[in-house]
Amino acid sequence: MISYDFDYHKPTAIQEALELFQALKKQGKKPVYFSGGTEIITLGRVNELVTDAVIDIKAIPECNTYKQDNRLILGAALTLTNVLDLQSFPFLEKAVAEIADNTARNKITLGGNICANIIYREAVLPLLLTDSRILLASLDGLTEKPISELFHQELQLKDGELLVQVMTDLEAIQLPFYIVKKRRQWGVGYPLITVAALRKQNKVHVAISGLCSFPFRNKQMEDSLNNEQLSIDERIEAALKHIPATVLDDVHGSDAYRIFVLKNTLRDILRVLGGAENDG
Amino acid sequence: MNWSIGKSPTRKDSLEKVTGAAKYTADFIGAQMLHVKLAVSSHAHAKLKKIDTAKAKQVPGVHAIILGPASPLTGDEVKDRPIMASDTVRYYGEPIAAVVADHPFQAKKAAELIEVTYEPLPVINSPKEALQPGATLLHKDLATYEKIPHVYPEANTNIANRTKIRKGNISQGWDESDITIEENFSFSPSDHTAMETRCTIVEIKPDGVVHITSSTQAPYKIKKQFAEIFGLEEGKVVVHAPFVGGGYGGKVATQLEFIAYLASVAVGGKPVKLLYTREEDMVSAPVRIGLDASIKLGATKEGKLTAAEITYLIDSGAYSDKGSMLTKAAAATCTGPYNIENVSCDALCVYTNHPYVTAYRGFSHSEILFVFERAMDILAKKLKMDPLVLREKNVFLPGMTTPTQTVLNHSTVGNLPNCIDKLKDLMNWDEGMVVRVADNKLRVKGISCSWKTSTISGASSGVVLLFNPDGSVNVLSGIVEIGMGTKTILAQLLAERLKMDINKIHVQMEVDTKVIPEHYKTAASRGTLLAGRALLKAADDAVSQLKHIASHVLTCSPDDLEVGYEKVYVRDEPETFVQVKDICYGYEFPNGNSIGGQVIGRGNYTLRHLTNLDYETGAGKSGPEWTVGAQGVEIEFDTTDYTYKLLNAYSVIDIGKVLHYKAAMGQVMGAMSMGLNHASAETFQFTQDAIISSPRLRTYGTFRYGDHPQYHVHFFETPHLDGPYGARGVGENGLIGMPAALANSLSIAAGVELTKLPLTPESIWRAKEGDEEK
Repeated sequence: MISYDFDYHKPTAIQEALELFQALKKQGKKPVYFSGGTEIITLGRVNELVTDAVIDIKAIPECNTYKQDNRLILGAALTLTNVLDLQSFPFLEKAVAEIADNTARNKITLGGNICANIIYREAVLPLLLTDSRILLASLDGLTEKPISELFHQELQLKDGELLVQVMTDLEAIQLPFYIVKKRRQWGVGYPLITVAALRKQNKVHVAISGLCSFPFRNKQMEDSLNNEQLSIDERIEAALKHIPATVLDDVHGSDAYRIFVLKNTLRDILRVLGGAENDG
Repeated sequence: MNWSIGKSPTRKDSLEKVTGAAKYTADFIGAQMLHVKLAVSSHAHAKLKKIDTAKAKQVPGVHAIILGPASPLTGDEVKDRPIMASDTVRYYGEPIAAVVADHPFQAKKAAELIEVTYEPLPVINSPKEALQPGATLLHKDLATYEKIPHVYPEANTNIANRTKIRKGNISQGWDESDITIEENFSFSPSDHTAMETRCTIVEIKPDGVVHITSSTQAPYKIKKQFAEIFGLEEGKVVVHAPFVGGGYGGKVATQLEFIAYLASVAVGGKPVKLLYTREEDMVSAPVRIGLDASIKLGATKEGKLTAAEITYLIDSGAYSDKGSMLTKAAAATCTGPYNIENVSCDALCVYTNHPYVTAYRGFSHSEILFVFERAMDILAKKLKMDPLVLREKNVFLPGMTTPTQTVLNHSTVGNLPNCIDKLKDLMNWDEGMVVRVADNKLRVKGISCSWKTSTISGASSGVVLLFNPDGSVNVLSGIVEIGMGTKTILAQLLAERLKMDINKIHVQMEVDTKVIPEHYKTAASRGTLLAGRALLKAADDAVSQLKHIASHVLTCSPDDLEVGYEKVYVRDEPETFVQVKDICYGYEFPNGNSIGGQVIGRGNYTLRHLTNLDYETGAGKSGPEWTVGAQGVEIEFDTTDYTYKLLNAYSVIDIGKVLHYKAAMGQVMGAMSMGLNHASAETFQFTQDAIISSPRLRTYGTFRYGDHPQYHVHFFETPHLDGPYGARGVGENGLIGMPAALANSLSIAAGVELTKLPLTPESIWRAKEGDEEK
């Protein structure tokens, strides 16, 4: 149960949503875009997310797009279950299949996960690694940008800006990938860490969630992992030096244990996706 | 002919449940009903300096705000707990204030606006800390608290009860031993996590009668406690217990009912509903014990146990509730199902600043078995002996004496050697305990034996049977249907005894303490024994009344008659009979004369010959029969990262008699899953200040679909002569050996003695190489 009151709007066009956002702001409200609503319900009931107006984007056609020509376009309001059912992006599917549980995935949306308050945002990992692009809407119009340009810890949206779509080149979708989600225990729930990797032009690229308080892809880390002068273990040790922030230490596991798991996982990635040549 | 026993008739509650029609407490809605929400403590130990309700009162729809009164104090054995905290909070999540409002969201909003000023006090975060010299006393008035006899709080300490076991001569035991082992074990409190969170509705009618509807396992206890604590007449307290969505012992405690009563009083007796959120249900409501234990075992080199010296420190949390009885049960069962001539055990109920505890499925047995059965494996390793062989050499057999010096017989103990033999078979034990299946993968087996009794004296049950004019029968029993199916089993027992179709037996599901005869509590695996025996007695009573009337109709002695097939018939001339439906409301002769009257079967049963335990030695008869079993777990273990899969779990249990086959299977498998879940994932995580980190299901670690192993269950039937058709309690045994069996398998797999729960990959890593890493 949510003890605060909030307005609920369900626009049917992008422009309408953007204007509503500004209008609500002018009324002194703090509107938020609303998609699956799972965070508003679960964080709202414990007052970890408080809002006085929500703008539901699920009735906006562009946010429900699914198109595939030379690239795949997925609307931000597609649910994770939709993404799984489409069977067009195996890497992304593998990532979202492990988020929450089936009932929740019927509600959680792709855009909602990318812009989530909950820190894991695992849908971002394949998108970062495949150099996907995102379509944003603001009152200035639509803009398309690489997600890597805007995703720093979280998606850097301007006030009122709306994530509409995600686009990925089919070529990138075909690349060999590896993703593993390690939990404190058993098969459902938040990650201890989730590590995703992609092999492109003989190099391994890595993005990680659950290690720090935000998901990230780090170039220096990737360079270390691809440093053929070093043994596998040396590469991993070198990569660990580039973890961009404090390692989490929480109910899912200690920081030291996360590092232990990360090392094992990176070893598996280098074994599966290549790069093990110099490991004597 | 076997009418129903051993079969699996459709449960009497199944259609209501599968269609969603079944009503649980929270489903009852009334136009006049007001709603209660709590403000709870954000500190684990603090003085309440100020509680400011000014802003909360301004919220529209708020009728009243109640703060905790300093008295009366409540508690089952030791009265140590205020209804809500009055001047001191002793655990994180302890109720401080209750808001009554028109709508739940208004009550919630107001509760959020109550401003509490705390003065933090030193926090006790484990039983060991609580026993340190100079430790903060959580209950300065412990010595003056009202209590029942045979509970022994120790003044000016944090010890709410101590039970001692002194059997044989411990120093002689050490003299006779060739080998000894010593180890310490511990785990934190955890939760019941029943699907239905606790809920109650309280209303005081104009005639002063207090009606309580509650998700409770103990409606008759609520009635007695309300009378006692609030000075009410027992006849003016009526408790209704509809379906309960799982209890596991957690709904034996009375807590929110007291708060809701104060709330109803504050609004002139109007009905008020208090429904706990999941967080409140996990933390504010009573939880499962934690434990610190140390154990020393001695044995001859042939593997004969000679001595056991054990200390069990039960983490009872802020109040004792059932903690003192859990302590007694821990002591009484302290050695597991093994015969040891020399035993010294101290079980202590220790106050800490954790949520307070109540019963949990297994009532100390699984906790104690984790310690003892781990110790047995450590001993077996030191003896270089197969762990099952070590157990076989020491198991309790008829003629041996328990730690409380009760002599066992075939009826009271069943046949554990049979269970062990069968377990070896099922687990393919001869294959060996460890099989390498890949470079870094091992398939590993672990085992545990188990035994369980119920340390409940004075428990009784009554049953009334009413006949309908068509000859069908209504069963009235005070058992609460908490999901275990006992009410269907009562129908089966009656079908068997009256030799009639179970479909013509109707069971009253909802309990109403005003009109349904009392049943002790729906707990401790005692439903079938207590209510079953009461029912059989009621059936005999009805049979004798039916025979009496029929004897006049058939003009013969009642002794020549039998009841069955909905008839009363002459034993050796069954074609001479009268239909039950024609006599169950008396019989009318063709000339218009009537004889007899409505047949009402009455029966009761009380556990016999149980005694209190002697304070110095623990001698006494602690419980009726023991249910014994042998259990195992097979895992696949990754030697690189210490993750593991649960492949198979086994339970071989001597349950006396299988009454409802599928229900028994369901009870055992469900219990096994709880045991494995507790052992592998479930726990409260406390900060240094005893704040519980994230008391939410999303992080707590309950099993989800797909996490389960394959369950294998086998039953033996050594009758318990006192039990209905020989049945033993079976609600808990599936659980109690599982933590030890899992820990034993993982200790073998990881090559390190694991002594803490839960057994997550991280905890194994810590045990294995954590120290190196640091």
